[in-house]
Amino acid sequence: MRLSIGLLLCVGITVLAFVLTHSVPGDPVAANLGDRAQNDPAAVAAFKEKNGLNDSLPSQYFTYLGNLLHGDMGTSQQTHRAVWDDLGDKIPASLELALFAIVLALVIGVGLGIVAAVTRNGWPDRVIRVVSLAGVSMPVFWLAQVAFYLFSFKLGWIQAGGRLSPGAIPPDEITGLYTLDSLLVGDTGTFGEAFSRMILPACVLAAFNIGVLTRFTRAAVLEALGNDYVRAARAKGLPESTVIRRHVLRPALTSILTVAGLTFGGMLAGTVLVENVLSWPGLGQYAYKSALNLDLPSIMGVCLFVAVVYVVINLLVDLLYGVIDPRIRLS
Amino acid sequence: MQGNQAIGDNSGSTTAGRSAGSRSARRRAVRRAAAPVAVTVAAAMMLAACGGAKKNTDDKGGGGGGTLVVDTSFSLKTADPGRTFEPTGIMVTRPVYDTLLTFANGDVTKPVPLLASSYEASPDAKTFTFPLRSEAKFSDGTPVTAKDVVFSFNRVKNLKGNPAFLLDGVTATAKDEHTVVLTTAAADPALPFRIATPALGVVNSKTVAAHGGSDAAGADQGDKAEQFLNGDSQGSGPYKITKYDVSTEVILTRNENYWGAKPKYAKVVVRNVPANTQQLNVLSGESQISLDMSPDQAVKVKGQAQVLQQPTPTTAFLFTNDNPAISPTTSNKDFQEAVRYGLDYKSLLDVAGAGSAQAAGIVPSFFTGALDPGKAIQRDVPRAKAALAKAGLNNPSVDLYYASDVTINGINFGDLAARVQANLKEVGINVNLKPAPTQTALDSYRNGSEAMGLWWWQADYPDASDYLAFTPGELVSLRAGWKAEANPEVSGLAQKAKTATSDAERVTAYKQLQESMNKTGPFMPLLQPAQVIAANNSVKNLRYNPIWYIDVDKLG
Repeated sequence: MRLSIGLLLCVGITVLAFVLTHSVPGDPVAANLGDRAQNDPAAVAAFKEKNGLNDSLPSQYFTYLGNLLHGDMGTSQQTHRAVWDDLGDKIPASLELALFAIVLALVIGVGLGIVAAVTRNGWPDRVIRVVSLAGVSMPVFWLAQVAFYLFSFKLGWIQAGGRLSPGAIPPDEITGLYTLDSLLVGDTGTFGEAFSRMILPACVLAAFNIGVLTRFTRAAVLEALGNDYVRAARAKGLPESTVIRRHVLRPALTSILTVAGLTFGGMLAGTVLVENVLSWPGLGQYAYKSALNLDLPSIMGVCLFVAVVYVVINLLVDLLYGVIDPRIRLS
Repeated sequence: MQGNQAIGDNSGSTTAGRSAGSRSARRRAVRRAAAPVAVTVAAAMMLAACGGAKKNTDDKGGGGGGTLVVDTSFSLKTADPGRTFEPTGIMVTRPVYDTLLTFANGDVTKPVPLLASSYEASPDAKTFTFPLRSEAKFSDGTPVTAKDVVFSFNRVKNLKGNPAFLLDGVTATAKDEHTVVLTTAAADPALPFRIATPALGVVNSKTVAAHGGSDAAGADQGDKAEQFLNGDSQGSGPYKITKYDVSTEVILTRNENYWGAKPKYAKVVVRNVPANTQQLNVLSGESQISLDMSPDQAVKVKGQAQVLQQPTPTTAFLFTNDNPAISPTTSNKDFQEAVRYGLDYKSLLDVAGAGSAQAAGIVPSFFTGALDPGKAIQRDVPRAKAALAKAGLNNPSVDLYYASDVTINGINFGDLAARVQANLKEVGINVNLKPAPTQTALDSYRNGSEAMGLWWWQADYPDASDYLAFTPGELVSLRAGWKAEANPEVSGLAQKAKTATSDAERVTAYKQLQESMNKTGPFMPLLQPAQVIAANNSVKNLRYNPIWYIDVDKLG
């Protein structure tokens, strides 16, 4: 049932993305052909023919959908490759960045949230609330620039720009995630470099989500701390770490999980800015360039991928609710 | 983009007793839980600190091999020379695909032999003969022959892509294995200049055909070689393309089979990097060259890096639509004069920054046939006001259209438009700014519906004939409503310039043409923006080329 709803949602998203991308004022011919070629009817006709722009919009959409069902997402007008291949090249870089960022956000955000809750109204709580507020308030493109200037250029602590230094040989492709692939083949040198170059963009990407998760965790933990069963657990003489882990964190986890799921999806969208400012060669850069060139098949491909990620994550979160809290009955 | 969400910050409503003891116990628990996290982070940081990926070259740069890193904001669609016409594409294909002729040392006034050992033009400028160098060979060791040249040229024509116009009316034939003859339907003295364009680089016909390439009619739909050429170049230049990614980076590796002088750098990495980051990268040594800094940024790096700063072959111009149906006001010749003399060209240069130059005419300053700087229009407010009065217009209002999201060599066209608005306000013309995203603005510009437009033209090839597009009835003029029959005098001068064959005749004809256009045309050439190239001091022989920025194979 949930899978069916998810599939229907994806089809709906294709319609929405298709209508929106075709509603943008602008002409793919103008975006892709130069001044001279645009004045040549033969060149314009050749471009339209090659990219299927002569058909009506509904016809173009159903052709697209038919091709999609056969695993064909069309051909990018900017790279002249199958969009599927382009996404296959770009997704691992963004996925690696987003995964690292979400781990950072979860560890730091949840950790700070717990600390803030258990030290409620104390100075750690006040400091953490200010920090989390700063995290959610700073525009990501500004933070990326400032972080790059400070940590990479001024202090020289972290190298940034690209997944590896120019001219470096990437590890043999297994998953496409450089850190994981280099570990799998035992190449610690490449792992170290890939990891170090990921720190800055991942921290920038995580900053907003750390703020969000901190505030949600704090609220959820405080709510749980006020429950009678927590008082009963303490009265039984359980160690405080056990009380927090078993009786406070577990019920708080459902709301934390909801936010974490949403933030992971949001991170994939957030990569557009971070990747462009910090030259990270992933889906964000690809999406930005596709938008600039009105490359409709690529834009559709990126939209569809992000939508599928959202649907899948929401599904996973729904399933995990039942694992975490047995009181929740899945229909 | 991450939007602002409603963020819960429940302060909690617990009524639980909170003794100092229980609070300290909770804090101890938190500290214990944090310990493994801290250890994990520390271990990862240690690994990162001692990290270093394998390189296939010594990475110190300089003369003994190494890697040259060039940062630029990509304008790139393809690495197939038959299709490429974007600035970054031209830069990366130039050292990969040799052309028959080229421009040496940044001098674009004189094409010099490259694959051709020399060339000869017939007196009527209709037949051009190119004997090929016998030693020239492709990266796979195959000799370059006349057949390859003919295949490459026919392919460009039949692909019907952006560079196809370069060979309009040109027929390529192989006289023998090592001689190419180009014939043109009409006198075409500018052909040698167009031949030096990287889009007309010669490909290995046998290999390209084997991978789906076609030079036959219908190649626009039938040629399938682009993807192959994006991954595996087939040229005879000093470099080969070993990695091509349209949104991130292009890697060139030295062609060990190169027939000429070997380039100093074993590898060239061209990366897509925003201008702000480029500045920091050059200063920190992360990259050696930046191509897109603004004049303001150039000031900050001077002294710490070498900086080249000079006008580009791009002309920013204003036009007032000559078509009364679009605007009775802007088509009025006296109104056009009022605009021409009401503009404060020097104040526009302030917007463009150091290194930019006023455009005396539509042809850029370093092309053959450019107007002398002394002939540039100077602001004359009384003359502008008199012209406006003569036109019978009292405080007219006109709409000025421009692309608001574009920055050309550090110039934001919104700033330039605002300055134009302020200039013309002083002579009694009210300009309403009509910004639009580039793709939207291009539509109204190209369909000729803008009353006034602020645009730019980047040279397709370094010859004044490229600017015949601004003469009545031609490509750009039609966008400004300047029809073929609009000005017989200018049309006559354009025809004279087009058919002049000797260098001296051409220079004279193009200068006369531009002077006439500056008197009666609807175009107001404004300025040539500054190109800023900053390079680490370790880079030697840095020279600017107006067409492809830098000769990476000549750097040391």
